[in-house]
Amino acid sequence: MVTERSLGQVLQFLAAPFAASLILTGIHSYLGLHVVERGVIFVDLSLAQIAALGGTIALLLPMSDGDPHSALVYWVSLLFTFIGAGLFAMVRGRQARIPQEAIIGITYAVASAAAILAMSQSTSQAEHLKDMLVGNIIAVSWPEVLRTAALYGAVGVFHYVFRKPFLAISVQHDHPEKTGLNVRFWDFLFYASFGLVVTSSVAIAGLLLVFCYLIVPAVAAMLYGESIGARLAIGWTMGTIVSALGVYLSLALDLPTGATIVCTFGLVLVVMGLLRPVLRPKRA
Amino acid sequence: MKNLSIVTAALAAALAVPAQARAAVKVITSTQDLASLVTEIGGDKVAVEALARGYQDPHQVEAKPSFVIKLHGADLLVVVGRELESAWLPALVTQSRNAKIQPGNPGYLDASRTVRILDIPTGQITRAMGDVHPQGNPHYWLDPANGRRIAKAVQGKLSELSPGDAAYFAQRYADFDGRLTAAESRWKGILAPYKGTKVVTYHRSWSNFAEAFALDVVGYVEPKPGIPPSPAHQLALTEEMKRQGIRIILVEPYFDLKTPNAIARNSGARVLVLPPSVGGVKGTEDYIRLFDYSVNLLASALKTATVP
Repeated sequence: MVTERSLGQVLQFLAAPFAASLILTGIHSYLGLHVVERGVIFVDLSLAQIAALGGTIALLLPMSDGDPHSALVYWVSLLFTFIGAGLFAMVRGRQARIPQEAIIGITYAVASAAAILAMSQSTSQAEHLKDMLVGNIIAVSWPEVLRTAALYGAVGVFHYVFRKPFLAISVQHDHPEKTGLNVRFWDFLFYASFGLVVTSSVAIAGLLLVFCYLIVPAVAAMLYGESIGARLAIGWTMGTIVSALGVYLSLALDLPTGATIVCTFGLVLVVMGLLRPVLRPKRA
Repeated sequence: MKNLSIVTAALAAALAVPAQARAAVKVITSTQDLASLVTEIGGDKVAVEALARGYQDPHQVEAKPSFVIKLHGADLLVVVGRELESAWLPALVTQSRNAKIQPGNPGYLDASRTVRILDIPTGQITRAMGDVHPQGNPHYWLDPANGRRIAKAVQGKLSELSPGDAAYFAQRYADFDGRLTAAESRWKGILAPYKGTKVVTYHRSWSNFAEAFALDVVGYVEPKPGIPPSPAHQLALTEEMKRQGIRIILVEPYFDLKTPNAIARNSGARVLVLPPSVGGVKGTEDYIRLFDYSVNLLASALKTATVP
């Protein structure tokens, strides 16, 4: 029989990963709406890979002492993220002949390969570098959760304050000149704050999971909602339910937590897609 | 609310660990090799469970929720150490909130403390040395003499945690020691004709094994795991293998065979997949059977390979 104490223990272990997944849901569902609206789906993978390249290079510097949690590694990967943000802000613009997604894809491939080259130059423990830069949500600790919550809260406030220019550019993605804004400047701020979030998220949850938290709730929200407010509400609800369900399934079936949440996202999205004709019949 | 309580009840039921005999010391090990050695010494006075399976690369193990819960309930954690598990285990140990098994506490045993460690870099580590573990080669359990040393350390630790059973553990150690010694001379006999045979291995998993059985490891397929070897390295290795007449490439079961197969094709050698851990393949269920399996497989491969 299950005693109260063992149930309490189980929930105790779940608490930090679940709190982390809620924080991820909060910021990523919002950023995902922008990203899907702009049609730059893989920008997070690309920025995360640039950050990983920065982290790998920093680990090779003698000052880092090979410690993946050193301040140097953090700042160098952040610097790389900002360079990437600058790049993405620059390449959009008048040369519409080249889709931005192509640049993002190329950046992803080159940054990944450059990280492999950098690792091949390390003196030790090459096999660990990758794992050290990519987190596992089951091993997340409370201090990490709190630090991340504070950081994402700040980014959230920043985006709330400047919501008008950010939203205007996302909605008018193909004709940014109509907004009358300095698009490059606002794009840089968008990608820089976005990169800051993605880099931190990957460090605690891993690349696949971060991608899902970003894209899937946004897509689900677009299936059912029109206004930004409605979409946010749908995205947050879906993200929360999937997080809870995913963490539960991972425990009940004893499967790796991150991958289980990713697959749960896929299943729930399929169900939502299938139910759409029933729940939202086309107006006659 | 009703649904929620059903879910939490189901969740708790799914996780409920079957009640263990009350007196048993609950031991969690990182690998099945260590679990096998703990069983040899602890017998029915311990309940032992390994986290990583023998067919997994012990450097990279995907953590599951049950790992944290198992660690939480453990009286003793035995690890291979030397940074073998550093990519996945330390964070889980911290998360387990089990003060007993934190490094430095009585419930934590680093099995590498009392064994013979090879490949410890001396002086400045340079890139030319390839993939180097600063603390030495962590694949030390593949020398029977080290297996005996690990067993001795486990005996000491278990006696410390359960002093009433010290005589039982001592008797089990003596029994294991006897069986291991007999088996060791059998293995050495089987491999004696191939003394000094030069081999190439994929990863540095067999340094201790090679030392124990007088094989000579002259090169590695991937100088750094996870990083494909450069064409220059592959070419140099192939040339070196031809020059020295090397006929065998040993590969761990969890690595891809494309590169070793290509090198084998070009150098006239053959690839032999050899399990470095208990539970890696069928027939390697415990520490002694792992060597039985590996030694016989290697001997038959060397027999056919060395006939011109």
